[in-house]
Amino acid sequence: MSKEKSNLYEGMYIISATLSDDARNKALARIEKGITDRGGEILKVHEWGRKRLAYEVDGHREGYYYIVYFNVEPKAVEELWQEYHLNEDLVRFMTLVTDNVMEKIEFRALVEER
Amino acid sequence: MGRKARYRYGGGSGQSRFKKRKRCPFMIAGIKEIDYKDTETLKKFITDRGKILPRRITGVSALYQKKLSNAIKRARHMALLPFVAEA
Repeated sequence: MSKEKSNLYEGMYIISATLSDDARNKALARIEKGITDRGGEILKVHEWGRKRLAYEVDGHREGYYYIVYFNVEPKAVEELWQEYHLNEDLVRFMTLVTDNVMEKIEFRALVEER
Repeated sequence: MGRKARYRYGGGSGQSRFKKRKRCPFMIAGIKEIDYKDTETLKKFITDRGKILPRRITGVSALYQKKLSNAIKRARHMALLPFVAEA
């Protein structure tokens, strides 16, 4: 396994809904900067919008969902996580390795068998 | 291996005792990977309380049940689905 090789990641971020639009965009820019500063490349950013959280997280009942596709070295992701844990605007985050960039957040429905 | 004509017990008695076994809904739809962001689909496989339904009820194949449960757990982490829903 080569160390320098970068992977494609899908990051989902929940940014606090209590922030103003301005502050929220700044928080997103900070996330993007964190990636690019580590030699990463942002491929796509989806704004998934304001959603009600299924349960309360640190006093938050709502959150703004963002999905970011980016390329970065695996080593940088660990650093990003540490940064995210310290970021108080970020309610939750998750980064997963994926194979492809979703152009649209849409899904095929199941067909009913009957 | 092919699909054997297997049957299971349906409820009640008499003629309608045997029901045809359900087929995996993901295989029928041709969905290869189950995405945690697809909450509308995932919601069909959890109870009102938020628990994952057993595959004996839903008919999901073993492989897809594993993928499904992983997707549900990811969705729970991102507060897309509840860990426990108060009924």
